Amino acid sequence: MELVEIISSGLLELYVLGIANEQESAQVLAWAEQYPEVKLELEAIEKNMEQYALANAVPAGGLVKEKIAAELNIQTPIQSTAAGSSKYISLNNFWRYAAAASIALLIGSALLNVVFYSKYQDSKKQFASAVSAKNSAEERLAALEESNREMKNDMEVVQSRYSEPVSLKGMAVAPDAAAKIFWMKNTGEVYIDPNNLPAPPSGMQYQLWGIVDGKPVDGGLIVFSKKGDKYRIQKMKSFGKAEAFAVTLETAGGHPQPKGDMYVMGRM
Amino acid sequence: MTGNNKYTEEELVSLLRQKDQHAFSYLYDNYSGALNGVIVRLVNDVQLSEDVLQEAFTRIWNNFGQYDSSKGRLFTWMINLTRNLAIDTLRSKGYRKQQQILRDENSVSSYHDKSYAPDKFDSIGLQKQVAQLKPEQKTIIDLAYFNGFTQEEISRELGIPLGTVKTRMRSAIIELRKLLDNS
Repeated sequence: MELVEIISSGLLELYVLGIANEQESAQVLAWAEQYPEVKLELEAIEKNMEQYALANAVPAGGLVKEKIAAELNIQTPIQSTAAGSSKYISLNNFWRYAAAASIALLIGSALLNVVFYSKYQDSKKQFASAVSAKNSAEERLAALEESNREMKNDMEVVQSRYSEPVSLKGMAVAPDAAAKIFWMKNTGEVYIDPNNLPAPPSGMQYQLWGIVDGKPVDGGLIVFSKKGDKYRIQKMKSFGKAEAFAVTLETAGGHPQPKGDMYVMGRM
Repeated sequence: MTGNNKYTEEELVSLLRQKDQHAFSYLYDNYSGALNGVIVRLVNDVQLSEDVLQEAFTRIWNNFGQYDSSKGRLFTWMINLTRNLAIDTLRSKGYRKQQQILRDENSVSSYHDKSYAPDKFDSIGLQKQVAQLKPEQKTIIDLAYFNGFTQEEISRELGIPLGTVKTRMRSAIIELRKLLDNS
């Protein structure tokens, strides 16, 4: 058979397509060994058919490669060489990325914990200091309110249309001492402003006396403010009537009858 | 091999003889689609076609020693192995070989209408070139290549003398070569 006849016979094509019978296949292989041109022609046909197969390719299911790798105990490579099995690759890479991402998240989370804990501590301190400031502000406010209320009370006593002021003047033991009595004519209530009395010695208290019918009647103990502030106008015992008022310095707790020195006195 | 320049044919064969796993992965990534194209046209069952593809690659890996480069290129061996495996599987499952010619263009091309992941090789370019084949030329190639028909079956199917199958096949492949070379 001539070379041209061999090549144009169509047997080479049947061989490549896998439909040559045994006898024909043996013949083709013998020609290929004998003639380089036949071998070249065979290769050309093979490449054509390979192209044809690629043109008619149908991508395989995404998990087939994994199954094959598992069956053959093959480590599927990290990086795939083609996009044809992109489903599988993305799955493989998905877990790698997921693992990397979760580690990154863990580290990030730990760092954030430190940052947030530190911020939390700062906030806690700031809050405590704010609370403290608030408390001290509240205390100051309360003190002011208290002071204001007392002042208001004082003013009410002083300004009341029914109050009759009585000036108590300093006696021999304390010539500079002074006090004021406000007697409410409508109710008989008695208030005293002891601001100008000298501070009582420890263990001693001032006691108010109303002079009724020439005799001293107990008007009550004048109390120091708990905070050591100046005396406020304070309500004493009521007197329906009195000719005069006097303050004596008595031992703490006072007495039914005056025993100590008289500091101030004034007549109605 | 065509499509990807990472390995030459000789390198790939040599690596596969050494059971190189990267080479196997490369082989799968680049050629599983082409082999699957033969399988799905023969096996009209998704699960079964996946099983056949899996078995084909298993055999390629395990029986790689049987590949003889003097008898042809690697891909020719792989696709013939795959086609024979698909046909044998169908026979063993009691399927009759599909006697219906896929004259309807859609029956083959419909696989490409679906949005599969793009292959690395220029599949679309190839498809365009191949699509210019005359229908009778495409039919005779497909009957052998995708339907696994024997010469006798092709002769009967097309109503042409047995001796004419060879020459018709040659003309069809020469036409195919012209279309591919014009790219």
